[in-house]
Amino acid sequence: MTTPPPASGLVARVEGLTKQYGSTGNRVTALDDVSLGIRTGEFTAIMGPSGSGKSTLMHIMAGMDSATSGSAWLGETEITHLGDTELTLLRRRRVGFVFQSFNLVPTLDIEGNILLPFELDGRRPSAEERAWIDQLISSLGLGDRLRHRPHELSGGQQQRVAIVRALATRPDLVFADEPTGNLDSRTSREVLALLATAAHEYGQSIAMVTHDPIAASYADRILFLADGRLVSDLPRSSASDISRFMLEMEAAQ
Amino acid sequence: MTRRSRFSPREHASSLIVTALSSAFGVTLLLAIDALATSLRADDVTGSSETVSYLLAVIAWVFISIAVYVGAVVTANTFATIIAGRTRTIALLRLIGSSAATQRRQVAREGLVVGVIGSVLGGALGMGITAGLVGIAVFTGVLPDIAYSYLDPTILLPMLAVALSTWLASWIGSRRVLTVSPMAATGAAQELTIEQARSRRGRNGTAITLFVAGIGILLAGVGIGLVTPLGVLVGIVGGLLSFTGLVLGAHLVMPPVLMLVGRAFGGSAPSRLAVENALRYPERSSRTTIGLVIGVTLVTMFGVALESYKHMLISAVQDDPVYYAGIEQSFNTTIAVFTVITGFSALIAAVGMVNNLSLSVLQRTRELGLLRALGFTAHQVRSMILAESAQLTVASVLIGLVLGTFYGWAGAQSILGSMNGIGTLVPPSIPLPLFLVLIGAAAALTIGASLAPSRRATRVSPVAALAFD
Repeated sequence: MTTPPPASGLVARVEGLTKQYGSTGNRVTALDDVSLGIRTGEFTAIMGPSGSGKSTLMHIMAGMDSATSGSAWLGETEITHLGDTELTLLRRRRVGFVFQSFNLVPTLDIEGNILLPFELDGRRPSAEERAWIDQLISSLGLGDRLRHRPHELSGGQQQRVAIVRALATRPDLVFADEPTGNLDSRTSREVLALLATAAHEYGQSIAMVTHDPIAASYADRILFLADGRLVSDLPRSSASDISRFMLEMEAAQ
Repeated sequence: MTRRSRFSPREHASSLIVTALSSAFGVTLLLAIDALATSLRADDVTGSSETVSYLLAVIAWVFISIAVYVGAVVTANTFATIIAGRTRTIALLRLIGSSAATQRRQVAREGLVVGVIGSVLGGALGMGITAGLVGIAVFTGVLPDIAYSYLDPTILLPMLAVALSTWLASWIGSRRVLTVSPMAATGAAQELTIEQARSRRGRNGTAITLFVAGIGILLAGVGIGLVTPLGVLVGIVGGLLSFTGLVLGAHLVMPPVLMLVGRAFGGSAPSRLAVENALRYPERSSRTTIGLVIGVTLVTMFGVALESYKHMLISAVQDDPVYYAGIEQSFNTTIAVFTVITGFSALIAAVGMVNNLSLSVLQRTRELGLLRALGFTAHQVRSMILAESAQLTVASVLIGLVLGTFYGWAGAQSILGSMNGIGTLVPPSIPLPLFLVLIGAAAALTIGASLAPSRRATRVSPVAALAFD
């Protein structure tokens, strides 16, 4: 049993990760011996068709699901053996989330949602963190929305709030799960540009799960999954190149 | 097909329990009084047994009506909550062509089934309980050993009342079916629409008028009571009016009290969310808690009135230790009997509260998943639900204690004000053991109500909760 130390320059990685559902007889393999790393300060897209295992990969890397075998590291921490409470604290302090929908707690106002990760920790943001949050709020144009409830905001605005919340604690890694899945194309572009800016200007590591070539074209690097395996690792590409690649992949099968 | 497949015993368990409890209560009370009347007739010295049993029956029906009413409020509330959880299924059926009226009729049919099954079960239970109680009473020599009947036809009345009121409650509770749009099935509207305490001017106006006028009449009754005990008759009218106003306007009274109580739990994330959750559906929280308020108010009212009466009598016969002991003894027994009888409504309301909290947690699965993903520990989820539970219970019990003390005092004052000469003001006497029991029961209810939902909530996996879009 060897557990190699985390490679430098990687904020998270998985080694020989396998995930199976169901019992013997009707076993479904969602992830089949996947090894990959997410680089620090980069905006990485994880792509693949439905059922490719991309969401399962994200859930395990984010400490929301368990692996059948293999290991996952977040920074120096091996997370596949952590208990529920340790994983919860890890998600709270070291990971940020942006989901496709239902990102915000409906009973809290916008400010309450943004500060929720701090509140869960039983603390207030420090002066430095407060300044960072204020900067995020004003650059995303949410300053006059702080007292509103989520349902009073448009889908794009709600997603921007989720991004502020995800960035507020300066987590090691932000996971975005189809962040533009519910948005119109103009709003989608805004949200994607925002994520790209967070990576390039603030050095925030981001992993985005998507099946949309346009969304993936905003990323610095694109990992392709198919049938639970990593099939390709591309640098920044245009939407049309990504589309072509996906079509070829489909045809090759 | 859909009708049968949607009838889930789990969903209706609480309505069944409430219905069975109400029916068992009615049947037991009637049969017990019947047994008492039988024993009185067998030993009728004064010839007044008919009058006494008539009076007892009237009192029994007052309490049965209260229990049926509280049961109906609880059931209507439960059905409204169940409908809220079924929004998407109903919307889907609407989408493929079912009419809202058909949908609502199906829900009401479920209510009728629950009502009939519950009241029959409760009736059988009631007969069993009475037979057991009378058996004990005969054995210990409290009642003479003669033939008692447990199959009196009058017991069909409370059973029928319970079944019909459950049917009616399910009809009222399923009102929201009519507002479900087929669009809700497309997933665009996943969250339940927030049923806000709509500003229904007519209802609010009636509630406030009844309450204010009722309090006025009640105080007038207290005033008249300084001269003659007949003041209590005026007072009863005022009490009934003001309490009806309060029940009608529960959606105006309960939310602010819930908020105040919630503030007392501090500003941590779990308690702040708990406050918001309890206030999310003000209508629902009001309906959930008003049953408990009614129960606690009744228990407290009789307790305080009897205790005040006892103190008056004791101060009148202070010098005679024999009388003194007799009064103490008989009053404590009377307080205990009334507490049990009135406490039954509180018990029914408590079942409703437990169920409501469970269902509301069940319906919040996605939100709990989000919170878990963002770093809510299992412990924090548990304390949030405990705080929600505590908020509902503490608010209801507090209001009930205050109202009950006031009504009880007003009752005792209007009867006794003129007793020791003219114009004595009696301070309200607090039956301390009763209050302690109520507070203990409230604590038990708080914890009991939060157990099942907490277990369910901490089992929510963030992945499963966020997976279905």
